[in-house]
Amino acid sequence: MTLNKRPWVGFILPGFILYTAFMILPLFTAVYYSFFKWSGLGPKIWIGLDNYKSLFQDERLSSIFRNAIGNNFKFVICALMVIMPIQLFLAYLIDLKIVFYRFFQTVIFLPYVISTTIVGFISMLVFDPNIGVINEFFKWIGWNHLISAWFGDPDRAFTLLMMVIAWQGCAAGMFIFLSNFKAIPAELIEASLMDGASKRQRFRHIILPALEPAFANNIILGTIWGLTQFDIPFVIGGTQGGIDNSIDFMNLFFYRFAFGGGYYGETSMGFGAAISVVLFMIILVIAVIQVKFFNRFNRE
Amino acid sequence: MKRSHYERLRGSTSLTARIAAAGLLLFSLITLLLIPNIMLSSVKTKSDLINNTMGFPRSFTLENYRTVFVEDHFFRYMFNSVILSVMALASLLLIASMTAYGLSRYKFKGNNFLQVYFLLGLMFPIQLGILPIFIIIRSLGLINSLWGMILIYTANLSLPVFIFSRFFRSLPRALYESARIDGAGEFRIYAQIMVPISKPVFATVGIINFVTIWNDFFMPLVFLTGKQVRTLTLGIYQYMNNFLANWHLVFAAVTAALIPVFILFFLFTSQLVEGLTAGAVKE
Repeated sequence: MTLNKRPWVGFILPGFILYTAFMILPLFTAVYYSFFKWSGLGPKIWIGLDNYKSLFQDERLSSIFRNAIGNNFKFVICALMVIMPIQLFLAYLIDLKIVFYRFFQTVIFLPYVISTTIVGFISMLVFDPNIGVINEFFKWIGWNHLISAWFGDPDRAFTLLMMVIAWQGCAAGMFIFLSNFKAIPAELIEASLMDGASKRQRFRHIILPALEPAFANNIILGTIWGLTQFDIPFVIGGTQGGIDNSIDFMNLFFYRFAFGGGYYGETSMGFGAAISVVLFMIILVIAVIQVKFFNRFNRE
Repeated sequence: MKRSHYERLRGSTSLTARIAAAGLLLFSLITLLLIPNIMLSSVKTKSDLINNTMGFPRSFTLENYRTVFVEDHFFRYMFNSVILSVMALASLLLIASMTAYGLSRYKFKGNNFLQVYFLLGLMFPIQLGILPIFIIIRSLGLINSLWGMILIYTANLSLPVFIFSRFFRSLPRALYESARIDGAGEFRIYAQIMVPISKPVFATVGIINFVTIWNDFFMPLVFLTGKQVRTLTLGIYQYMNNFLANWHLVFAAVTAALIPVFILFFLFTSQLVEGLTAGAVKE
């Protein structure tokens, strides 16, 4: 029996088959579907690169596409430039054990286990123009000029969305920084105290470099987080991604073509596949750059 | 003492720390006002809720829960969510731990390649391939079936395999050798020796994936369109589409969905954190 000689095959095979069939192969078969005009049922019609051409050249579709991908990149930039420093700062405070740090840690973490539909409900509760708590509050104290449509206002929707998402999700990155803080050898910091380094010098030259693994992870997670955003914008803004597509993202754009139907008349799986292939390519390029940069797998 | 440097640092940052703590307190208030308020609102009558959205309930009723669970089928949704989460988790834990065991216990050609291969899912989330997955699941006749969902959740192996592998590699080889001398078969070594000593890792992987599956929205949205198979998150989403009419009921539905995860959250915070940060920092 080969299994007796190679016991690992029996252990790995079920996982390997499932993982390959549902995680890895679909990334590539999507490329195949993207060459067809196909509603998902009935015959597939080979149209070569036409789906990609419409994605990049069709006036209406390409502008939706550019808006959506633009929002994804805006999200990534926000995640890395705004949310990540906040996560670092929060982790720093908790590591310093400021007053009530356990309490804060718990409260920051709590929204993380709430499902995204409930987060959508909570943001409605707060920001709904008619019944939302915020507008009620402004009415109550008489600051009527601050009353706003919130998510109904295309200029505000994106910022608000980022705040909601940061409120829900910032704990993950914070804990990654925190566990890295705990792994910094105390001698390193003791030594810098002996040498009389200032607080700023110590942070810049001792702590920051030691946090490289956490940065590497959070940059990768933050990028993927931003590029694959779906739930909260969908729950808050609907399939179209809010008023004037202000909170539209690639995955929403994909969803309404591949499954959503209705909005643009017909369901088009081929076009949906083309969208997901473009997203896959973008993530692939970024992943290659990041792996090269951080050499993530080699340090294992 | 290992952490003496922070003792010293703490004194020197006390003012900054106090300002920061005040900021954090303000931030915490958002969570602390909203979540309990939702729970309290779920027992208000409709008229009380309209006049008194943020305050303590002036009325008490379980009518909302009765309507939600009995008339609006949330018993069914709750049942679906529980069954799906438990079955998917059991299958994921079994397959992931076996895969990881195979990868970390045996030396063979291609092992390194497979380890990297199983990590790819961390970079390329399963949503990217959702369309071909949809086509496979449909051709298997598993749309609107919890079985299809279990397959998909079980396939999402990257992080679980990574966490399990790290643990199995840390076990002393002698443990395994001595079991072999006893003449135990390979699978028996795994099932009767390795699994029992890996309970903490099972807890870590289990708890983080339970929360993920319980809360998942995208997969049920795509694969479970029929009313009979709806999960709690989908049920709540449908409710919100008819928000103004159901306003008082949404609170009850949301509370019912929150309570199980909150219980897990308070019981297993450290496992959750462990699951979140797994692989983040290499010693």
